Amino acid sequence: MRGGMIRPMGPGPHFGPKMKQFVPRLPFDMVLCESAFPRVKAAPDESAFTQALLKRNADLSPTPAEQAAVLNLVTKIQAVMDNLIVDPGNFDACQIEEVRQVGSYKKGTMMTGHNVADIVVILKTLPTKEAVEALGKKVCDDLRAQEPQEVLVLTMLPNDRGFEISNSEATVRVLVTTIHQNLRKLDPELHLDQKILQSHLAAIRHSRWFEENAHHSTIKVLIRLLRDLRGRFEGFEPLSPWMLDLLAHYAILNNPSRQALPINSAFRRCLQLLAAGLFLPGSAGISDPCEGGNIRVHTAMTLEQQDLVCLTAQTLLRVLSHGGYKQILGLEGNSSIASEMSVWDGVVVSALEKAYEKPPERPPQDDDTDNMDADDDPMETTDN
Amino acid sequence: MYWSGLSAAANAAAAYQTGQTGYPVGHTPTGTYTTQRAAGSTYDTGYQTAAAAAATHSTAAGTYPSAAASATYDYGYGRTTQTAAAAAAAAYDSSKTYYAQPSTATAYTGADTHYHNKTAYTNAGAYTTTSRQTTPVVTPKTSYTSTYPGAAAAAATATYNTSPYAVQTTTANKGWFGTTTALPVYMQQTSQPATAVAAVKTPGNTWQTFKKQGTVPNKTQKPKAPPKPQQLHYCDVCKISCAGPQTYREHLEGQKHKKKEAAAKAGPTPSRHGASLRCELCDVTCTGADAYAAHIRGAKHQKVVKLHQKLGKPIPSTDPVVVGGTTKTSTTTAGTAVGAKTTTSGTTAAPTGTLAATTTTTTSDGKKDDLKEDLLDLKEKDVEPVGQEYIEEIKNEEGKVISFNCKLCECRFNDPNAKEMHMKGRRHRLQYKKKVNPELVVEVKPSLRQRKLQEEKLRRQQLREEMWRRREEERLLEEEERWYWEERRRYEEECEYLDWCRRYPRGPPGPPPMMPPGMPRPPFMPGMPPMMPMRRPDSSDDRHVLAKHAEIYPKEEELGAIQKIVSNTEKALKMVSDYLAEVDAPKEQHIKPKAKKEKEEVPKDDDDKKDGDKKEDGPPRMLKGVMRVGILAKGLLLRGDASVQLVVLCGDKPTRTLLDRVADNLPKQLAVVAPEDKYDIQRVVEEAALVVQNIGEQRISVNVTLTSPIMREQLLHDGDSQVTAVKDPPDVLDKQKCLDALAALRHAKWFQARANGLQSCVMVIRILRDLCQRVPTWGPLNSWAMELMCEKVIASAGQHLSPGDALRRVFEALASGLLLPGSPGLLDPCEKDPIDAASPLSAQEREDITASAQHALRLIAFRQIHKVLGMDPIPPPKFQRGGRFTRKRRRDNSTGEGNDSEGGDGKKDKKEDEDSKMDMDKDTNSSKHLMVEGH
Repeated sequence: MRGGMIRPMGPGPHFGPKMKQFVPRLPFDMVLCESAFPRVKAAPDESAFTQALLKRNADLSPTPAEQAAVLNLVTKIQAVMDNLIVDPGNFDACQIEEVRQVGSYKKGTMMTGHNVADIVVILKTLPTKEAVEALGKKVCDDLRAQEPQEVLVLTMLPNDRGFEISNSEATVRVLVTTIHQNLRKLDPELHLDQKILQSHLAAIRHSRWFEENAHHSTIKVLIRLLRDLRGRFEGFEPLSPWMLDLLAHYAILNNPSRQALPINSAFRRCLQLLAAGLFLPGSAGISDPCEGGNIRVHTAMTLEQQDLVCLTAQTLLRVLSHGGYKQILGLEGNSSIASEMSVWDGVVVSALEKAYEKPPERPPQDDDTDNMDADDDPMETTDN
Repeated sequence: MYWSGLSAAANAAAAYQTGQTGYPVGHTPTGTYTTQRAAGSTYDTGYQTAAAAAATHSTAAGTYPSAAASATYDYGYGRTTQTAAAAAAAAYDSSKTYYAQPSTATAYTGADTHYHNKTAYTNAGAYTTTSRQTTPVVTPKTSYTSTYPGAAAAAATATYNTSPYAVQTTTANKGWFGTTTALPVYMQQTSQPATAVAAVKTPGNTWQTFKKQGTVPNKTQKPKAPPKPQQLHYCDVCKISCAGPQTYREHLEGQKHKKKEAAAKAGPTPSRHGASLRCELCDVTCTGADAYAAHIRGAKHQKVVKLHQKLGKPIPSTDPVVVGGTTKTSTTTAGTAVGAKTTTSGTTAAPTGTLAATTTTTTSDGKKDDLKEDLLDLKEKDVEPVGQEYIEEIKNEEGKVISFNCKLCECRFNDPNAKEMHMKGRRHRLQYKKKVNPELVVEVKPSLRQRKLQEEKLRRQQLREEMWRRREEERLLEEEERWYWEERRRYEEECEYLDWCRRYPRGPPGPPPMMPPGMPRPPFMPGMPPMMPMRRPDSSDDRHVLAKHAEIYPKEEELGAIQKIVSNTEKALKMVSDYLAEVDAPKEQHIKPKAKKEKEEVPKDDDDKKDGDKKEDGPPRMLKGVMRVGILAKGLLLRGDASVQLVVLCGDKPTRTLLDRVADNLPKQLAVVAPEDKYDIQRVVEEAALVVQNIGEQRISVNVTLTSPIMREQLLHDGDSQVTAVKDPPDVLDKQKCLDALAALRHAKWFQARANGLQSCVMVIRILRDLCQRVPTWGPLNSWAMELMCEKVIASAGQHLSPGDALRRVFEALASGLLLPGSPGLLDPCEKDPIDAASPLSAQEREDITASAQHALRLIAFRQIHKVLGMDPIPPPKFQRGGRFTRKRRRDNSTGEGNDSEGGDGKKDKKEDEDSKMDMDKDTNSSKHLMVEGH
């Protein structure tokens, strides 16, 4: 009764050849299934928490002076680059295709004390290290020529992503990349790393996406808070800024009503989502809106990192629910709450242990079939 | 001398023909070569130009056969240069003279190859730049290159000929003229023309020189040996001199020489590949300018030059022609010796090889210098040096630049000139284009090899595509097939399920299916695939959950024993009820007032009616019905569970008296129902219950709790009627216990209504029950809260979940703080007031459970679900591959309907009817497959 009988597909569910798509599941999300969990008692008053969040945000936002300084520098550099595009003159080390502002500067999520703006320069030519350095020098020279009084404070520092130009108050990171067609032609010996170049191109997409989708100011506030969280709790280190952007956007806007959640709920929800394993293997996570092919952003982290992030969020969530928001926001105490036992109101909150274990060396497959065993698949992680 | 005639009259036809006659054989082979050449390398263009020139010259071009054309070609070249010089005729003559001699000597084939190469070089640089040669020539050139394939017949032939010619020379030369002896003569001739050209001095010269160079090889190949008049015995083939005639002869007869000779005959071939440079003097082919320059500088070459010089005039005459480079070197080093020839050669050399020439910058001859510069300029105009910044200077300790390293091409050179050359060189430019600026224009020059590679690549690609297509088709087929089976399986399962449902309407604890004593739980229906064996566990999590479930699921003996005692108890209770009704009936007034003071006739509880099907309508009874509650009703029995619950609904508030009466009568009835079994009956007044225990190896206790809906009604109406409470009989049973029993009844109903139908839910609840029993942390979580939570969490997923996913989701919910303070809580749907079903949990317990769930969640995510479940990991199934259904699996599956009686008997029995109902979540399978495959 096997084989041979190839019946044309019946009227049943008809999945095209595409049905192999892995359909991961979103983890439990209280906000999405609120209706299933009617409140037994009224929600606790969270105004103090909200105030603390807002205060923290105010503390984290850059001062007007900082903003002015960075804006000033960015504007100048942008002008110099634009000039180079229009009239390269005798500068022939590389040709610039386009210059774009990206990152926290562009998104308006900068934090005080970190006055760094990012600019992506797309080269028409291939980004050799020499070319990048030459460009850096050229820009720097032009800047100096424009503002002779700044000659001494301006510095240019090439690195493996491009170069940084800084004056006393602000830094502009110029991230170099090249047009898509060139990406294939890269030689790791000569050029900047391809992954880096791609990440810079991605940064452009990210800022564009952000502009279109995440301009809500609650999102920006939340991003700032999350970045601060990431800075203070080691366990969140693996979360990239882009993941945080997406997480904040998701936490605030992805709810049944499609209205932005208040900041306190959104902040808690972020922790809840992470704690529920949004960024664990097997979870649908958040698929990158700027990449094709449904790439889940969290797969950029290693499994170990995914575990760590989840674990940290889980501990913090429990601390938060026992009233420890001040410690979480860094208004009091330190980050030890994430890694050590703490007592809240008589309740002992203990830290969690890692769950991830390095897989043992897999014994050779004894079946002769191709060993992409469905159940043996390594937990999905892609490095992107 | 026909040459002169030709050129002057431009009547190519006749002349050509003659030429043809000379070369008839060679031409055909040429044709093939040409095509290859056609690729458009600079060389080719050069050739073509030459050809074009030839064509222009000869009006009759169309007519000539390819062979003729080749001939023309050579001449054409000569002409072009000459034309450049201005007086074509004169030039021709000169060339003629020189050629004529060659014509006699077939030898010049070998030379030709070189010739070609050289010409190519010159073309690239000098030709175009000077371009001056005959204007007509230039234009045709361009057109030729582009139109090559489709060119007009005449033109095409011309070009053809030329290129083939060259090729022939290389390969076929030997064939033709190869053996012919004329070489020496030829050489002489060449030398003569060389001088002639030198006289001309215009850029045109370069061409000629080239020719000469071309010719040079010929001589090299030709064993000049005999001619040496001097005491020197020189072997031209091997480029060695022998001490005396004796040794010379020996040498000639030696293998080495013969080999060389043979090689020399075939020789042109190797030298011919496009870009190589050849030192004719030494018969050495160099792949590039650098190598060539190095060779020229090298000791070996110097030696040969010296030797030749020593040999005297006859040889020297050949030398100059050979290689620009060589000549040059000679000029630099020992210019005088070579004499006129050398000078000429020098001039020629400069253009040819910018390469060779550049290396030795200093030339004694001013004229030469000028010329060189000219040529260089020309070249430079053409090609901007690029990528200066990628050439590293390597310095020695003193900071002196000793060499250069091009990072793009990964090559080094010591000479600044070589560096310059390199920067203009094609290879470097290609690298630059590849690595720095993709827009840099580099002339294309696909070589034969490249083309072949390309073709090869294309072919392979096609093959691959073909393969993929086929594979895709196969895959589609397989998928189709698989879907068919999948569909079919589901369909069958559904049918079975429906069928089964029809026979065993899922109802709350109806009358337990009676079974013959001694025969534990009959299989529900033969052929009904028990869900567990039937399901295909798909993900690793699923498999673990299913395995664990199978492990905790009670054994059939256990189930049978429980079933037996429960049904016996139920039957006995019914009989007790009958008995009490009977007893009470006559003295109704008597007892009733006693039992239920006011409410004589309690309206029959609807629930009772519905649920307790057993009860027949009759006189109002004290005991209205018996219901299963708790794990028994919910089907949550686990292995080792030895205590189940029944609730007896009473018509009125149950009293101690009633309890006593029931307890007194029950043993008798039990004895009637199950005469062969012995039961022990205890009253637990404080629990408002009596406990029936069987006596045997398996102690199972059935708690029978007495309660009455009135207890709750009263509670609900508490607001208005406190009075009723007062009127309770004095010995009424514990109120809270009775209420709990009522709640348990409601829970059982809720469960059957909500959880039973939910996919995977019951299974997950069983697993969690096991967890709560196993892990102390989870102990405090009461089962009702747990059930409620599972149901809510799984139902809220909004999709079918496989058991593994469902379990994970529950842990996710807990991990995200479902139980933590601040969460909405678990609203108890079975209570009138909003009550958190988990309210008994203390804050610390909630915290601990959450922390545990959080860890468990991560364990599950990282493939350690077995740790959560407290079991050994299950290795992946053997014959599952690629997430596809293999034949094996399919077969197992498809035969399922046929052989489940054999295959499934063991597990089938395990099933309890309720369970199977609950767990019919077959269609998860399909969705699960999706996931598995995606991984």
